[in-house]
Amino acid sequence: MDERATTPEAVISFEQAVKDYGPKEIGPVTFSVGPGEIVGFLGPNGSGKSTTIRMLLGLIKPTSGTVRLMQRDPLADHVRALERVGYSPELPNLQSFLTPRELLQLTAKELGLGRKETDDQLPVLLEDVGLIQYQDYKIAKLSKGMVQRLSVAQAMMGSPKVLILDEPMIGIDPAGVVKFRSLFRDFVRDGGTIVMSSHILSEVESLCTSLVVIHSGRILFRGGIQAFIRERLGSRSILVEIADSSALEGSALAARISSLGGVKRVTPAPAGLLVEVAPDSDPRAEISRVVVESGAKLVGLGHSRSELDEAYISAIRGTPTQ
Amino acid sequence: MRASRVLTFARYEIRRAVARKKVLALVALTVLISIAPYYALYATHTSLITPPLRPYLWILGVFLPQAFFLQFTALLIAAGSMSEEYEQGTAEVLLSKPVSRQEYFFGKYLGGYALVVGIVVLDVILSITSATFVFGPQQQLGIEPMILVAQVFAALVFYSFAFMVGELMRRSSLSYILSASVFFTSEVVGVFLNILYTLTGTDVYKVANYYLPTSPVDSLPLLLAEPKFPSSVQLVFRFAATPVEPSIGVSALLIAVYFLSAVLIALSYFTRMDVAKRVT
Repeated sequence: MDERATTPEAVISFEQAVKDYGPKEIGPVTFSVGPGEIVGFLGPNGSGKSTTIRMLLGLIKPTSGTVRLMQRDPLADHVRALERVGYSPELPNLQSFLTPRELLQLTAKELGLGRKETDDQLPVLLEDVGLIQYQDYKIAKLSKGMVQRLSVAQAMMGSPKVLILDEPMIGIDPAGVVKFRSLFRDFVRDGGTIVMSSHILSEVESLCTSLVVIHSGRILFRGGIQAFIRERLGSRSILVEIADSSALEGSALAARISSLGGVKRVTPAPAGLLVEVAPDSDPRAEISRVVVESGAKLVGLGHSRSELDEAYISAIRGTPTQ
Repeated sequence: MRASRVLTFARYEIRRAVARKKVLALVALTVLISIAPYYALYATHTSLITPPLRPYLWILGVFLPQAFFLQFTALLIAAGSMSEEYEQGTAEVLLSKPVSRQEYFFGKYLGGYALVVGIVVLDVILSITSATFVFGPQQQLGIEPMILVAQVFAALVFYSFAFMVGELMRRSSLSYILSASVFFTSEVVGVFLNILYTLTGTDVYKVANYYLPTSPVDSLPLLLAEPKFPSSVQLVFRFAATPVEPSIGVSALLIAVYFLSAVLIALSYFTRMDVAKRVT
């Protein structure tokens, strides 16, 4: 496991950071994020993602250990640590009585931007997130997806160097997702760093360059996506869809597939059979041949989940924590 | 601490408070309380309002809300100032920016307080205007700025207390209930202690009454104003309240002690504690 412990150039670093809530403890957390990375921050609900992010933003105080943002203590040196950091929370609870324009103006004032800078950035950001035509609507009147877009816009106000995004794609329509991906890639290409928590693994896979996986308050993995898949992928599942699958139970077909090389287990699935195979083998062609030879009508054949999905599920299913 | 950020949060707090329906209701109530007594007195043709009293009737509108309405307004504005930000999850977003907790705290404190001051000023303007319109030209208006300062200073006690409770509880309903309970209890206990003192003559009841938070709040503006008016006008003051605390200095000192204690406790708690995630 590559924890990428604190390095001098790290923009984010945790060193044995612990938050003790009494009955529940998050940490010790140790990892760092270097400039130019897009880091996917994964973990099941309640695993400690939000607590870790909130420690990073200086909103909560670690019980022990150290946290550094832009090489500064986000609690003791809050103003300077957060000067070039944008944050979009998980549930964007924005001020419903303001309009998007007013919210961004408030954000600009918090950031200390001048009127010209604000006037220059505001329409560009609203255009980027697709809210320019809603800039004078009350936030209370906007849909959940629009509020999410606005939350990302306020995080990007003031040209930050680091973006911390907690579930940024939730509620966003497909066109918005495509737009956001491009926006985030441009941000990193221009020298920015992103830490993005998400439960949508396909999103993480398509956007992120590395991962931090947290479970039960402990870091399970820190490193590249492919390294994570190699390390954690215990098996892959292939769904064999067969017409009239009810006739398959206890059939010879399942036994024949089980005997193929690389196959670990075959179980009935609603639409056919679920074949669990070793991660380094791909017996799809053989399975197809066996099904056709048995006289069953093959409707579909493919991996039931992506490699990252499977590696992630495998990692959080009882893998020892650090 | 940067003044520009404090000002940003103060403006934000005014905007936020005004967006809430209850503050608008308070403004409407201010208008009613400032205007209605004059028209009621005029309509009833009461013999209490003799011609020598008429030039001083502006006092009525200025002091009538002092004991109850003004304190309750301060309390309502302050109790939700911090707590509602936690409940709505907006504190987290505001404090994830490069602003210090002190800037946020004092900005919100001053913004809400500016609103209280605005409501007092509105009451004064409407009272003087109504008194003039209904009962003719008013006199001794020169002391009004001093009374205004005393009133807004006195309002700091329950404003700060409710602000502190809002931060400590982080639940608006609890904050309103607790702050209002303390206010009403203080008023009721004050009346009770006064009755006991009148019946028994025991000084301890009188002294205990001095230290109730409502006593200096009610007393200070009256103590400052009464000597400036002819004795014939005292009747008008009795409509409003009776000063409990006999000394201007002690009243001012108690107000300062009460409000500064509340501010320091709230600030100390806010700067040390975690910023709560959305509280529901």
